[in-house]
Amino acid sequence: MWPAASTWAAEATAVFVKEWRCELRTRYALSTLALFAFTTLVVVSVSLGPLGVARSQGSAVLPVLLWVILLFSVAAGLPRTFVQEEESQTATALRLSATPSALFCGKLAYGLTVIAALEALITPVYLAMMSLPVRSPGLLAVALAAAGYGLAAGSTLVAAIIAQARSKGTLFAVLAFPVLLPLLLLAVEITRDAVGGDPAGVALTQLILYDACVTTAGLMLFPAVWNP
Amino acid sequence: MESLTKTILPWLLWLWLVGVILGAFLYAPPAVGFRGSSRILFFHVPMAWVSFVAFLAAGVESLRYLYGGRAPRHDRSAAAAVELGLAFGVLATVTGALWAKVMWGAYWNWDPRQTSILVALLFYAAYLALRAALEDRETRARLSAAYAVLGLVVAPFLYFVMPRMAEFTLHPEPVINRTGKVDMDGKMVLVLMSSLAGFTALYFWLHNLQCRIAELAERRASLEGDRP
Amino acid sequence: MNAMNDVGGANGWILAVNLIVWTGIFLYLLHLNRKLRDMEKDR
Repeated sequence: MWPAASTWAAEATAVFVKEWRCELRTRYALSTLALFAFTTLVVVSVSLGPLGVARSQGSAVLPVLLWVILLFSVAAGLPRTFVQEEESQTATALRLSATPSALFCGKLAYGLTVIAALEALITPVYLAMMSLPVRSPGLLAVALAAAGYGLAAGSTLVAAIIAQARSKGTLFAVLAFPVLLPLLLLAVEITRDAVGGDPAGVALTQLILYDACVTTAGLMLFPAVWNP
Repeated sequence: MESLTKTILPWLLWLWLVGVILGAFLYAPPAVGFRGSSRILFFHVPMAWVSFVAFLAAGVESLRYLYGGRAPRHDRSAAAAVELGLAFGVLATVTGALWAKVMWGAYWNWDPRQTSILVALLFYAAYLALRAALEDRETRARLSAAYAVLGLVVAPFLYFVMPRMAEFTLHPEPVINRTGKVDMDGKMVLVLMSSLAGFTALYFWLHNLQCRIAELAERRASLEGDRP
Repeated sequence: MNAMNDVGGANGWILAVNLIVWTGIFLYLLHLNRKLRDMEKDR
């Protein structure tokens, strides 16, 4: 199925490539994610746009909604990476052929690229539809990158955990949200700073620290989660 | 001799906490700037502290399980710790909300500390939900242990880093404030520390009882499983 | 600040209730402990 990999990096890349190949074949996750994100976006715009939200409140409320949209889209689309393996029973083959850490990083890289694509798609549209001027676009980009990474890392690990359980859909949300919530709170704070033109406060440091912690935990725990 | 200490210790604990209760109401003065309602902190703070201790214990026991031979007693211990942590955490949140109502007029203010402990509680309820969704004993132990170790990474962040770094909080300064000095009346400190010790001892007793119950239940279940 | 003034009225009641509740919990835990010990003995 995938080439015999002699180095770790080759393995991880192989996993990454295979994920995208499968995904492009069916385009399931991408379409779910995009559709979900756009639908939520429309709902938000309709309720806040025409009915109007005061300018002053807008810059406080709108950053939150952007991240809510991203969070729910991720929850809707990302767990499939592991759930599908278990369901189509390709998981056993993976367990035999891939090193756990390489597998984790391959899947994580896939998740990252999906989230990056989502963010690139949604954010400009959101900003345009809400007429939200951003004074520090650089900071916004940093927030999107850092929090996006955190979302990917956390989601990948949790997806691996729930893939072996029943009622996977709701269970993912239940398990992932407490882990991702601090991430979201920090991202919102930084986004608010970006909109208002304020310099990034401690929130950015905390966000990066959180990312580092979740990554370490993921790399350490994934072998135990993946192999019986 | 050993059974003598075993009989005396619980009574000592009883006496200790009686002393704490009396101290909280008769010995310690009301906090400066607060009213008599401040006495609740002698119970609210220790309960929040115990819930944090419980979560750490769950994480440590889970590490022991995963990397120390997969012994079922560590799994039982971790689950017991989470249950107790959740119970104490709920009590801490409720007492905190009641106090908030008296002091600041509203039960919930989205104060960073309040939010943090709420997210922590969600995390541990999620742990229990995960266990409920896994039937096989070894899979359940392994995956919930992984999630608890992830919690080890998240919990200190929630309990300590985030609340302290927020710019504005309704919570009174932590006991050892930024300058490193203790900023509370001496009598209050005494009662508070005694209460912390008492509640921690109580937690360990409860945890011990819980583990024994779980082991007996497991033993009975395996016996009944053998019956035709 | 003499906290003795606070006793009596609501504070006195709360104190009593606290002591009663705690003692009740304690006795229950002792009972539980005894029961578990018995169950553990007849393996």
